Amino acid sequence: MIKFRNVSTIYDDEFEAIAGLDLEVKDGEFVSLVGPSGAGKSTLLRLMTREIKPSIGQVLIDGMDLSDLSQSEIPLLRRKIGTIFQDFKLLSKKNAFENVAFALEVCGAHPDEIAEDVPKALNIVGLADKIKNFPHQMSGGERQRLAIARALIHRPRILLADEPTGNLDLVNSYDVVKLLMKINEFGTTVVLATHNREIVNAIGRRVITMENGRIVRDQVEQGKYII
Amino acid sequence: MDSFKETFKRIFHAGWTNFRRNSYISFGTTGVMALVLLLFGGLMVVNFVSDQIVTSLQDKVDVTVYFKQNASEDDILVVRKDLENEVMVERVGYVSKAQALEDFKTRHAGDALIQQSLAELSDNPLQASLNIKAKSSDDYASIVSFLEGNKFRAVVDKINFYENEAVIERVQGISSGLRNWGLLVTLVLAGVAILVTFNTIRLTIYNQKQEIEIMRLVGGSNWHVKAPYLIEGALYGVFAAIIATAVFYPTLWILSSKAGMLLPGISMIGYFLSNIWQFVAIILFAGILLGVVSSQIAIRRFLKV
Repeated sequence: MIKFRNVSTIYDDEFEAIAGLDLEVKDGEFVSLVGPSGAGKSTLLRLMTREIKPSIGQVLIDGMDLSDLSQSEIPLLRRKIGTIFQDFKLLSKKNAFENVAFALEVCGAHPDEIAEDVPKALNIVGLADKIKNFPHQMSGGERQRLAIARALIHRPRILLADEPTGNLDLVNSYDVVKLLMKINEFGTTVVLATHNREIVNAIGRRVITMENGRIVRDQVEQGKYII
Repeated sequence: MDSFKETFKRIFHAGWTNFRRNSYISFGTTGVMALVLLLFGGLMVVNFVSDQIVTSLQDKVDVTVYFKQNASEDDILVVRKDLENEVMVERVGYVSKAQALEDFKTRHAGDALIQQSLAELSDNPLQASLNIKAKSSDDYASIVSFLEGNKFRAVVDKINFYENEAVIERVQGISSGLRNWGLLVTLVLAGVAILVTFNTIRLTIYNQKQEIEIMRLVGGSNWHVKAPYLIEGALYGVFAAIIATAVFYPTLWILSSKAGMLLPGISMIGYFLSNIWQFVAIILFAGILLGVVSSQIAIRRFLKV
């Protein structure tokens, strides 16, 4: 379902963030992407949301080459994908309800459906009582859970998480990971880029290790954090 | 239809919420736009006044043809008829010898010496005349040459155009100068106003750059992200227009009463009050257009994510 074919990404004509990478992620997999800073993990995720185009090679989702997408087709791709970021990327001028509702609105959901689904999603991530709060009125853990609710609300087939626990303490980190595993159980493909050894080892699923823009290890089952 | 209504409601609501929550920035932007719209209002006043001055100056210009003592009234009336048939001529006024004397007497009613001298005269020394008003001050020279070529040229004593020629040319120079400079100043100031508004809105939108990029990352289409910002831009325009109108009329009222002494016969407040709806419509339209177009241009570069 997600395929990278000989992908290279070169920034500013000199820095090679991804170097000739081949990768295949099947539907419903839970993949942990590990490696030191600058290994190319975030670039890999940004290629999947078409934030950037590969310099060489192809990135395919459901057989569709993302480089061929026009500016107006990019939102359609992003609505299939839920994304969680280390810095949360919440809309600071919108409250919790509106942040989550936005992801549904862009998909063209009816206001009745939004009014019904958003409180449910906030309930799942444990923010039922913060529905009117703005991001600056929430703790780091709460903000990340809000970001997860937003990433899930439109039932995406793929969930990309870029260091989602990077700004969180251990307890909050485990909460986030538990949520991700639950989402995966319902059939959503999850790609998690992280530095967090304990978490990767606790998940115990496929682990891909990257270094200098290349895959140096791919443990398909019961993977461990090894660098 | 229903979904169109829903979409519009959503866009409007999002735009309004954004406007309200950014109250500090919205207040500043609206204030700057209100000043810009006031400047537009001021330019309208300047144009109105200069137009009135030009019209009243041109109104004062005319040409009078004086006829010799022996000219018969019939001949004069034929000349009048000929003149009235000319397209350049606005109107022709006839003052007979008797009327001229009457006017003269009235004018100098308080001057005993003149009254006495007149009483001593057996004959009416004054001349009959035709007062000609042209449609445009450019036309006087042609009208005069038309008169010069007329078959009754012999009964014409003098045409005061030659004495007035310099004055007429000067009036024409001032009029066209006022119009041209007025237009140039209006265009330059309007250009400055548009740039100021555009840059203010650009800063407002730049402030929300990250939000816009996040909306794109979450899957918002260009229109979905952009539309509330266009509404926000329009709202700046609407509120700015309201403020500008509320400041404009009282200010004009004060100015008008002071300017009345300098420019008698020109009522600025009267003119703008009788055209209040047109004024509000123009200011509102200019405000909304400026707000929406500036937002549209400013947001474009942040939608490339």
